[in-house]
Amino acid sequence: MSQRTERRGIHVDQSDLLCKKGCGYYGNTAWQGLCSKCWREEYQRVRQKQIQDDWALAEKLQREEEAAYASSHGVQTQSHGPFSKFEEKKTNEKTRKVTTVKKFFSPSSRTPPKKETQDSKTPSPSISRHASFDTDQVSKDFVEFLKNLQKPGREIHKQCRAFLVNMSSKKDISAEELSECVQDFYQNMVDRLMTHFKGSSESVEQVMDQVEKYIMTRLYKSVFCPETTDDEKKDLATQKRIRALHWVTIQMLCVSMDEEIPEVSENVVKAITDIIEMDSKRVPRDKLACITRCSKHIFSAIKITKNEPASADDFLPALIYIVLKANPPRLQSNIQYITRFCNPSRLMTGEDGYYFTNLCCAAAFIEKLDAQSLNLSPEEFERYMSGQASPRFNSSEGDWTSSGAASESTSINPVLVQLNQNLELLSSLSSRQERLVEAAHSLQADLLSWTESVKKEVNDILEKYPLEIQTCSVSAIDANNVDNENLPPPLTPQVFAG
Amino acid sequence: MTAMRVDAKVVMLGKESVGKTSLVERYVHHRFLVGPYQNTIGAAFVAKPIQVGEKVVTLGIWDTAGSERYEAMSRIYYRGARAAVVCYDMTDSSSFQRARFWVKELQNCEEHCKIYLCGTKSDLIEGDRSLRQIDYHDAQDFAEEIGAQHFETSSKTGKNVGESDLNSSTDLTTFTQFSVITSTGVDLGQKKDSYFYSCCHNN
Repeated sequence: MSQRTERRGIHVDQSDLLCKKGCGYYGNTAWQGLCSKCWREEYQRVRQKQIQDDWALAEKLQREEEAAYASSHGVQTQSHGPFSKFEEKKTNEKTRKVTTVKKFFSPSSRTPPKKETQDSKTPSPSISRHASFDTDQVSKDFVEFLKNLQKPGREIHKQCRAFLVNMSSKKDISAEELSECVQDFYQNMVDRLMTHFKGSSESVEQVMDQVEKYIMTRLYKSVFCPETTDDEKKDLATQKRIRALHWVTIQMLCVSMDEEIPEVSENVVKAITDIIEMDSKRVPRDKLACITRCSKHIFSAIKITKNEPASADDFLPALIYIVLKANPPRLQSNIQYITRFCNPSRLMTGEDGYYFTNLCCAAAFIEKLDAQSLNLSPEEFERYMSGQASPRFNSSEGDWTSSGAASESTSINPVLVQLNQNLELLSSLSSRQERLVEAAHSLQADLLSWTESVKKEVNDILEKYPLEIQTCSVSAIDANNVDNENLPPPLTPQVFAG
Repeated sequence: MTAMRVDAKVVMLGKESVGKTSLVERYVHHRFLVGPYQNTIGAAFVAKPIQVGEKVVTLGIWDTAGSERYEAMSRIYYRGARAAVVCYDMTDSSSFQRARFWVKELQNCEEHCKIYLCGTKSDLIEGDRSLRQIDYHDAQDFAEEIGAQHFETSSKTGKNVGESDLNSSTDLTTFTQFSVITSTGVDLGQKKDSYFYSCCHNN
């Protein structure tokens, strides 16, 4: 305003006030002398460029990392299939910023192909805004929910906000302390709500679910896998461990699932998808819901196979198998996050808690897994782990078992067996191609001779029935009266006497 | 609200195939107690609302994998449990050894957890006394030593379980579970002012 009044006094050339782009509208110093429209365009352009640069940098880094990984791990990565490509985060502090950028793009590389239909969110440049949009949405929902509670609702909202502000000021405290803060907050909130609702734990739980959702969505970024812990290292260790265990079969774990039944394998795929999806959720409760869904699919798979409800003796091995197959991203971080920040009443006793506990067991089992726990001899285990040998996969695992090779391949590496099979396949393909080319040649010859024969036939016919063109006589002006003869003679005038 | 609210956690421990799952099945399908019957696809986790005095308490019954290969992880299972039913097969002495192991573990790690010692498959012994490998008094002595309650039960495990056997066995099973329930109910009453168990995130 002050600038304006200043200008009013002195004479300013009209062109100085106009948009620098010369679009004819008035500009504004706040927009670097541009009009609002031009400024928006300019701003978008710069921003777009920045985003593209970031993207290019992230992609470049990812490629480098993948290349480095592939060269160091070679065989293992390949044999592990689509789930092994999970973005490894850099531990290095300096690259932290780049890593976050990378994180935005990583879902595409993390999500397995099976998930594509479900996860239609392509990594867009606006994904950072998308995240904040999520947060806004959650805040909105939260406020909406609290409106129903009227006065206490406002109180709850105030408390939550105060807590969030308080938390944001605590930067350098350990994860355990963070967890304690959040848990204390839950506890206080519950105590307050208990007095308000006069002990109706159902309503308390309902409010607590909303509070948890709001708080944890807001805090997620700062408290998930914080730098003060070694969660990230553990994640990488677990991930590596699962990769190294790629050879573990369903039989070794004594899992009662028959993947040859289509319904079972469908459930297995769904279970894998669910457990991988867990990483994408922010609220501990949503993560738990993913685990529960995964478990339910496992139960159905076992039920279909065994034709009776599954017990824990069936379930745990199956879950271990699913975890091994899925190699869920940031498994340890997620487990830690849920343990630290989940509303404890849910975690400790409910059904979700049961499945979560099983997942913890599965993770612990995988960590400690040795020859004995798979009923293998230590030597066998060593050989499998080092990749020198690989157990022969059962027929459900792939088409390795060819009738001829199966009997002799017990001692041979199945990779070799498959190699031979592939060679056979290739040679059969090449012979088929030769046949195809031959057939094509003969077809060409046939086509040529066919045109010849047609020509010849036509000529023959022409010779046989030569074309005689009857010359048309020059027609008189009344030539069209061709039927003259058939007509009765024209009337001749007759003279009647008298 | 998808998950059911659960007030107390009861964990089933015992060697593979001693009949933990059958015991839970028998208990849950029994219509003696009030409360809606919850249909689950698996028998590993069951939420069971029961009447204790004038209150309805929901039990979360956790079945566990009994195989020795998961022994190291059993601690994760019984963390925060209000009661544990340690099962052994009366026709299998090794299962009793395993039961001893779990009892020791529980006493070390979860001192507030009530222990119930439970011999299973009594119907088999009633059919043929020579099958018994665990003497009733030995088990009873052990139970007294650890301050646990002891029961010999049977859930329907085979087709030769007759109607009369079924009745008596379900009574016993119910009795076992009911005592579990009553005591958890009492414990819950005492614990009323602290809504959450504090043992969640510190471990």
